[in-house]
Amino acid sequence: MEWCVSDSPSDVPENYYCADRGEFGARIDNLSADLKSGGKMSDDDIYMVAAMVGEIGNNSFDHNIGNWPDLPGVFFGWHIDASGAQIVLADRGQGVMATLAKIKPEISNHQEALKTAFFERISGRAPENRGNGLKFVREGVKTTKIHLTFISGDAQAEINQDFEINPADKFIRGCLAIIETKKYEN
Amino acid sequence: MKIEIKKFGDMLMSRPAGREAYLALSAYLTKGVDRKESLEIDFGGVKVLAPSWADEVITPLAQEFENIKLLNTENSTVRATLATLREYSDLKI
Repeated sequence: MEWCVSDSPSDVPENYYCADRGEFGARIDNLSADLKSGGKMSDDDIYMVAAMVGEIGNNSFDHNIGNWPDLPGVFFGWHIDASGAQIVLADRGQGVMATLAKIKPEISNHQEALKTAFFERISGRAPENRGNGLKFVREGVKTTKIHLTFISGDAQAEINQDFEINPADKFIRGCLAIIETKKYEN
Repeated sequence: MKIEIKKFGDMLMSRPAGREAYLALSAYLTKGVDRKESLEIDFGGVKVLAPSWADEVITPLAQEFENIKLLNTENSTVRATLATLREYSDLKI
């Protein structure tokens, strides 16, 4: 959390930091292998989690390329124990609202930006289709019955079978996503 | 003709990787092929297909070819990705 809220990027252990997509992709392979050896999830769910992680992390690279405010890349770490896995992704990018404001200037706050990102059809850099990965993530969270906390700006979305947005405790300029694979059946 | 998606890898994510795959298949597989010819896209062996990759490959193929058949789409990420593209990227297959 400190890494993405501090004014300047603090040092982060090398094995939690992916400076580029290549490194990020390789570490998703490692995550999949670790989830598999954890033995708590079906292959289908592991693949879906890997796809969701891929969409969230690659969004960071897609929407900040050439425009990182300070440090490029993503924080990417996970912890797996008997109760399940916790996967954390974060970036020090521009955040969802600043990204969407370029194509939907009427967005006036971070909560609205998150709702747009997770529900509305959008295109980040016309004529390319961009920015629809978070809709996939929302559906994936439902089908795998896991929990996703997604924070950007002062908005915090809690996503499982439901979708709820509240003010975040701390302002995060970029994005922070926490995936918890313990089953949520609500 | 048939395109075996697993030949591009079994974990398919990110737009740049998808764009590269599409350029390769446009140059070596679909170049010169009649757009009315039947095209089979086979997802057999794919473990992870993310919408960012698929939107750079499947969406343009669907716009180019009139007769597309999707094979081996049982994988959960393949199904979910195709559903996302149908809803948000005008994928018509």
